[in-house]
Amino acid sequence: MPMKGRFPIRRTLEYLQKGDLIFKNRVKIMTVNYNTSGELSEGARKFVFFNIPQIQYKNPWVQVVMFKNMTPSSFLKFYLDDGEQVLVDVEGKDHQLITQHVKKILCKSEEVLHVEALAKMQESNPANFGPKKYCLKECICEVEGQVPCPGTTPLPKEFTGKYRTQMAAAQE
Amino acid sequence: MSAKQASVHAKWIIGRVIGTKMLKTAKVRVTRLVLDPYLLKYYNKRKTYFAHDAIQQCTMGDVVLLKALPEPRSKHVKHELVEIVYKVGRVVDPFTGLKVEGTQFLEPFADLADDLDKKMSLSDQIPEVDSSASSSTASSLEPRTP
Repeated sequence: MPMKGRFPIRRTLEYLQKGDLIFKNRVKIMTVNYNTSGELSEGARKFVFFNIPQIQYKNPWVQVVMFKNMTPSSFLKFYLDDGEQVLVDVEGKDHQLITQHVKKILCKSEEVLHVEALAKMQESNPANFGPKKYCLKECICEVEGQVPCPGTTPLPKEFTGKYRTQMAAAQE
Repeated sequence: MSAKQASVHAKWIIGRVIGTKMLKTAKVRVTRLVLDPYLLKYYNKRKTYFAHDAIQQCTMGDVVLLKALPEPRSKHVKHELVEIVYKVGRVVDPFTGLKVEGTQFLEPFADLADDLDKKMSLSDQIPEVDSSASSSTASSLEPRTP
């Protein structure tokens, strides 16, 4: 059974995860003003159709608002954290040009993304044990191949502390 | 905690005014895109916020920018109005500064009207450029002072 709608590939997780526009932390709101008809708005319409789902998926905390047929010109407006506003003219541009431009001005660069990915990997270091929020496992007994938790199965006599102290005391 | 934390998660939001009947308060509807988990399509989800508007300058249908207050002003009001982004009926094109309505300009382009009147006088003002090879050595155009 094929997928429904035009370009249903937009509605796949793989497509959404492929989005590469990850905004800097300062960007809070993104506003797109475009027109539903006219050659000049064609790029903006394609941008909204193809790229907005990817952007929203990668930036869940940015509010994305669309305004249709408010002004004859089409533009993007970004509202940053310190009250700064960035206006991007989009009239007559192709949607790929628009994404490249936005990536250059307001998105995290490749290096920053690499550093963040590394930091995330360090957080999930399998050598660390602790609360579930911070580490993968809480105790070494959860790892396969290690001594199981004495809470579930009693340890053999030789592994218990009291037996070892008895033996040590008997030897002296 | 050295920096003051705002009372809500959303620091800056944009929405449309849907009610102004409250004193110095605007009821604002904010839409966010939410992914439907099965269809994997984004739909607008509405939420209403109350914003403090000291001079009561908002009318129904304005698009406004709100900022979170450091402390909630009352039980429901946790934001204040920063600016009216698009005033209803008086939307201004950001590039030309002219009033627009939908896809039409309401005001004519100012520079176009003036241009047709001034066309005669401009050509007198610009000095004649003598670009022939004989006279190009020493003389040069006087630089126009801005």
